[in-house]
Amino acid sequence: MSDALLQLRGIDKHFPGVHALKDARFDVRRGEVHALIGENGAGKSTMIKIVSGVYQPDTGEILLDGRRVEFSNPREAHAAGIATIYQELGLYPELSVAENIFMGHAPTMKRFGLRAIDWEAMEQGAAALLAELNIHNLDVGAKVGTLNVGNRQRVEIAKALSLDAQILIMDEPTAALTESDVEQLFSIVRLLRERGVSIIYISHRLNEVFELADRVTVLRDGDYIGTQDVSATSEGELISMMVGRTIENLFPKQVAEIGDVVLEVRNLNRPPLTRDISFSVRAGEIVGLAGLVGSGRSETAQVIFGVLPAESGEILLNGQPVKISRPSEAVDHGIGYVPEDRGHQGLIREMTIRENTSMAVLELVSKNTFISRAKERVLANHSIRQLSIRATGPDQTANKLSGGNQQKVVVSKWLASSPKLLIMDEPTRGVDVGAKSEIHRLMSQLAAEQGLAILMISSELPEILGMSDRVLVMREGRLVGEFTREEATQELIAHAMMSATPAVTSDVGATL
Amino acid sequence: MTDKKTGQPIPRNPTLGEKLRHLLISQEGVLFVIMLVSVLFLATRTDKFLTVDNLLQQGRFMTEVGLIAIPMTYIIITGGIDLSVGSILGLTAIVLGWTWQELGFPLELAIVTGILSGTLAGFVNGLFIVRVGVPPLIMTLATLALYRGLAEGISEARSARGYPEWFFQLGQGEFLGIPTQLWLLIIAVIVFGIVLARTRLGRALYAIGNNELGARFSGLTVNRHLLFIYTFSGFMAGVAGYIFVSRVSTTRSDMGTGIELDVIAAVVLGGTSIFGGTGSIPGTIIGVVLIQLLKNGLTLSGVTSDATIVVIGSVLIFAILVNNFIQSRREES
Repeated sequence: MSDALLQLRGIDKHFPGVHALKDARFDVRRGEVHALIGENGAGKSTMIKIVSGVYQPDTGEILLDGRRVEFSNPREAHAAGIATIYQELGLYPELSVAENIFMGHAPTMKRFGLRAIDWEAMEQGAAALLAELNIHNLDVGAKVGTLNVGNRQRVEIAKALSLDAQILIMDEPTAALTESDVEQLFSIVRLLRERGVSIIYISHRLNEVFELADRVTVLRDGDYIGTQDVSATSEGELISMMVGRTIENLFPKQVAEIGDVVLEVRNLNRPPLTRDISFSVRAGEIVGLAGLVGSGRSETAQVIFGVLPAESGEILLNGQPVKISRPSEAVDHGIGYVPEDRGHQGLIREMTIRENTSMAVLELVSKNTFISRAKERVLANHSIRQLSIRATGPDQTANKLSGGNQQKVVVSKWLASSPKLLIMDEPTRGVDVGAKSEIHRLMSQLAAEQGLAILMISSELPEILGMSDRVLVMREGRLVGEFTREEATQELIAHAMMSATPAVTSDVGATL
Repeated sequence: MTDKKTGQPIPRNPTLGEKLRHLLISQEGVLFVIMLVSVLFLATRTDKFLTVDNLLQQGRFMTEVGLIAIPMTYIIITGGIDLSVGSILGLTAIVLGWTWQELGFPLELAIVTGILSGTLAGFVNGLFIVRVGVPPLIMTLATLALYRGLAEGISEARSARGYPEWFFQLGQGEFLGIPTQLWLLIIAVIVFGIVLARTRLGRALYAIGNNELGARFSGLTVNRHLLFIYTFSGFMAGVAGYIFVSRVSTTRSDMGTGIELDVIAAVVLGGTSIFGGTGSIPGTIIGVVLIQLLKNGLTLSGVTSDATIVVIGSVLIFAILVNNFIQSRREES
């Protein structure tokens, strides 16, 4: 391809125990948005880290503008015009917008015979860069720490442009953004494309690929699968390229026999985000908890799990009232909680799969307080098989796993405790399509075959509709709606989530 | 080698050679080699160093630091620190001497009272850290001053002496040819080394140090564990205080001043990360021994005490650099 600005050919990269990229290739044309997709662990991150100079390929070559280049560190890639916008933003929260944009290359002037920062030029330069991106409402003097995620991301993009980036790598840029921030990001991306900047766009959300990208490259298990013009492909084709099979049933919900009430909460209170909550979950039942971000879903889950103990109200397990004032008590009562923030709450990433899977059941793998590593290994191997976790073995550090596999480790930790009730907070966020359907299948299986009661919090309506036997909706800390699987539709739930009319709570809970 | 069904590599059991190699390039292994080299070098400088008598005598001197270093390792593994151990040692010594001499307690009861007051001091540290959420560095920095002040206030600058003969058995006596207190250290190292490496308590400490929130969300009783280790630290500082008094035959309020720095240096030298999450008792004890032998060997070789400190500091930095280098190479391979 002669018009390629950046070309990678025959790229191979090994890590201990993992062949991350196998003879992979990738090319980016000038002024295109090129999406890079694949399941977690497919090699996307490795690929962009090679492009941005973080890793060096074992074999293969990189051509920039037809010339062979080698980046031995990110700085060299930077100098060649390749900038990366990371998910974990690389900004200094205590410095101003302008200082962040010009970090390391601030405009200078002579003063008292010394080179001093020309603050005025810097602020003007920053404002001009932001204006070029059609961003007019951002104060260049504001501390970055005071900005919301969307604005911080804009600062990062401006920073990249201040370095004359020709290629911009965006890794999951919408993962943490609100709806309106996403819109604005898209218009910035389109603006940059018109100016001839090439963008490598990594995302799990296929609709973004269709909305934004010109071409799309699919990786699977380190193999290059193919590159397509977006206009000439379909969602189904991309999914089957990613997972190597067609997913016929995205939400494999089995019909489960609904048993006795496992969890019942009555008038649970912990303002501001948990107000007078009453509902129940039965054995074999998956109850979906829908609501906007900030509506109090996670907080309510954490009240039940004892992280934020209730101020008043009752929690009944199998009909018995229980007092839960800390997570260890919830665990003792047979409650498991797969939290939303996998990295900080769900996993201990520095520890091994073995140590993570036994974390909630240490008494089961130990005798007189001595932990048996053999028993732990048996447990971990069982989890690895049961959830098809892709790992080199039970002693692999959780850190080294891809996002989807990390999530499976968290789930397996709670399954090991044989809970009666499993609360799953955004169980498939940031998880690739393949792992997602595996987790869904597992949930469905656990409910149907073992009679596990599952309370599932999700911001994805298709997931709520696909998986739930019953749907609860929260708004502003209150339960504002309840629908059976048959009744529930996207419109009804979305309306309950966002409606401005005061909640009608009288019929909620009455049917339970 | 991969599993045909899942395509995953099958882990195989390491051979004996691999295990040995693994042990040698572990943190503790590297440190042990550095210690051996230092000992051999010092032995060539003076013939008074590498003798059984001298080495046993050094064992006597390092027992207090060693005993305190055990709970300090636990605490640093959880990402905390205890700066007040030196002051707790002093407080224990003073309470022991004061209750015996001024209040007329039987000496046995005075010893117990002293150690209990040290334990209580550690418990207070833990209580504020866990319940009020004071950062360990701040809390123990405050009690470093507070407990020392208490000790000085109680003692009114007088020292207690004139203890009966049996009292010195622990600090100055021998059992089976080995200094009595060294037995105590050896037993403590073995017991608490195993506790850290093999039990649920040890696992919880590592989990807390790596990710306290994650540990809490896994249902571990984080607060209870933290409260325990700070109390344990006070207890061990108390025992060390008793040994100290028994060794030097007198009680003074400035006892143990600055010992916290020796302890922390040994723990960190032993491979425990100051950010928490990693570390071991064998590493710590090699750190304690290495520092004590360097001090002693250099002094015997006629190096002035100022220069000794400089050399010890340099060895510390060198050991940490070598270890970092080897560990990063190991991660890559």
